[in-house]
Amino acid sequence: MKVALLSESPADEAVLRELVAAVLGGSPAWSAAGLRARGWPSVVQVLPAVIRHLHFNTDTDTLVVTADADDSVVHTAEHEAPGYFHPQCRLCQLRAVFRRTTRKLPPARGRNRVLRGVGVAVPALEAWLLCGRDATVGESAWIEGQATGRAPYTRAELKWRVYGTDRPSLPYEIRRAVEEIRRHGRDTRRLEHDFPGFGVLARDLREDQANLPGHPT
Amino acid sequence: MIASVDFKNFKALRATALQLAPFNLIIGANGSGKTSLIQAVERLHALARLPLTTPGPARRAGGPRISFRFNPPFAAVEARLECVSEASCDLLQIRPAHAPEWPALQAQLGRIRSYQLDYGAMTAPAAPDASPEAPLSPNGANLAAVLAAWRDRHPAEFAALVAEVLRVLPEYSGLELARTAGGTVTLGLRLGPGGDLVTADNLSQGTQALLAILVLAHDPAPPAVLCIEEIDRGVHPRRLREVRDAFYRLSHPAASGLKRPAVQVIATTHSPYLLDLFRDHPEEIVIAQKQGRAARFERLADRADLAELLAEGSLGDMWYSGILGGVPDES
Repeated sequence: MKVALLSESPADEAVLRELVAAVLGGSPAWSAAGLRARGWPSVVQVLPAVIRHLHFNTDTDTLVVTADADDSVVHTAEHEAPGYFHPQCRLCQLRAVFRRTTRKLPPARGRNRVLRGVGVAVPALEAWLLCGRDATVGESAWIEGQATGRAPYTRAELKWRVYGTDRPSLPYEIRRAVEEIRRHGRDTRRLEHDFPGFGVLARDLREDQANLPGHPT
Repeated sequence: MIASVDFKNFKALRATALQLAPFNLIIGANGSGKTSLIQAVERLHALARLPLTTPGPARRAGGPRISFRFNPPFAAVEARLECVSEASCDLLQIRPAHAPEWPALQAQLGRIRSYQLDYGAMTAPAAPDASPEAPLSPNGANLAAVLAAWRDRHPAEFAALVAEVLRVLPEYSGLELARTAGGTVTLGLRLGPGGDLVTADNLSQGTQALLAILVLAHDPAPPAVLCIEEIDRGVHPRRLREVRDAFYRLSHPAASGLKRPAVQVIATTHSPYLLDLFRDHPEEIVIAQKQGRAARFERLADRADLAELLAEGSLGDMWYSGILGGVPDES
């Protein structure tokens, strides 16, 4: 399985590499290293071009893309209903871009389309890094905070909890992020449970892997 | 160190004040007062080195005036620049006139440095400085000589700098300095293990810029205030994070695990990509707004609708769109 990553920074990419390997049970072949978007909404703007590029110019099987939810509507089980689309949910939006873009593409390089691996970190990737270490951090706490108008934490607070500063240098950010995410290296179930925005990404990846030609089902 | 600057009739800055933070990134159209702010700080530095004098009779009422206030322990002192014209501020007064803090403040003002890097000058062989502790010169022309001095006198800091250069520029495997027959120092970067030596005059402008910025960030004797123009110039957008982090190393040393006083940084940029990196710290962004011939400063964090704006797009895109102001008048 050949996987490409579209992320916001080298630190995010390092985390995604660890998570993809953990979900797939081993590191896949990586394709088109270092695809970047400049946060939201840049990611949805560049995503169609990235998908087309990977489809026609590479042998990538799956594109993994994640975004931070920030203060947007959080993806819930209700959004998984067939045909459902919430215009303020970033996961729904990313999936819609995938659908729209891949639907129009002719087969290329022996496959019909680049497969999808989409996740959204609520409210930011640092929350995933704290999973299992800080019991107050989780999607349910964030959703409850949105409902009551009292956010349980801010993006800056999450950074402080992970890095001890809200201005980490890039190498330190990468080192700390990888240290934390490797706690889930052998078992991602806790992360999938506490962060359904990661759970849907894990599910995408497993389905992508199962759908590859030659993969034992 | 500088808490605020208050301008009256100084170039385009007719009547505006600015509270300064440890790190300040000034954005705005050309001619909107960004450089004027830095010139005012430079002038403060230059005049603070001279004995204080009393004003002569030729001062015109309502002429250009720049007032500086400072953070503790100098909060009681005001330094006021009086100007004979928009281009010439030649008098520094302090209030109270005999403030006991002045000698210590004067010493700090002597540690202000200002940079406008000149890539042509940086590539030329550098004559050793008269003082081995000489800092990087305002245009960066003595870059090689400064590095040679660090190698000899501050080997630990030099090694840390080289390691950082090679991390940020991974295509290189070494930083090499050499003395010419004429006694000048040249620098080059070695491409990969055993690869060619790329001499300074063959390095890209972006590589030179990153090198100079990293040298500033690893200075064993950093200034109290560092002003620098166009910190993004020549640098690939994906490497702007390294630029930001290098200046954070100065302005927020504790975040890098350093135990030394912070350096106040005043920087300018025209890069929306660099601005994107300050989404979590809008309080560090100053927008120079120009209307007609007059310009004023605004802190991005003071915008009441900032949270809504950030939910809809990147800071850089918002700036480019004109929503934040700080764009050229195209009418």
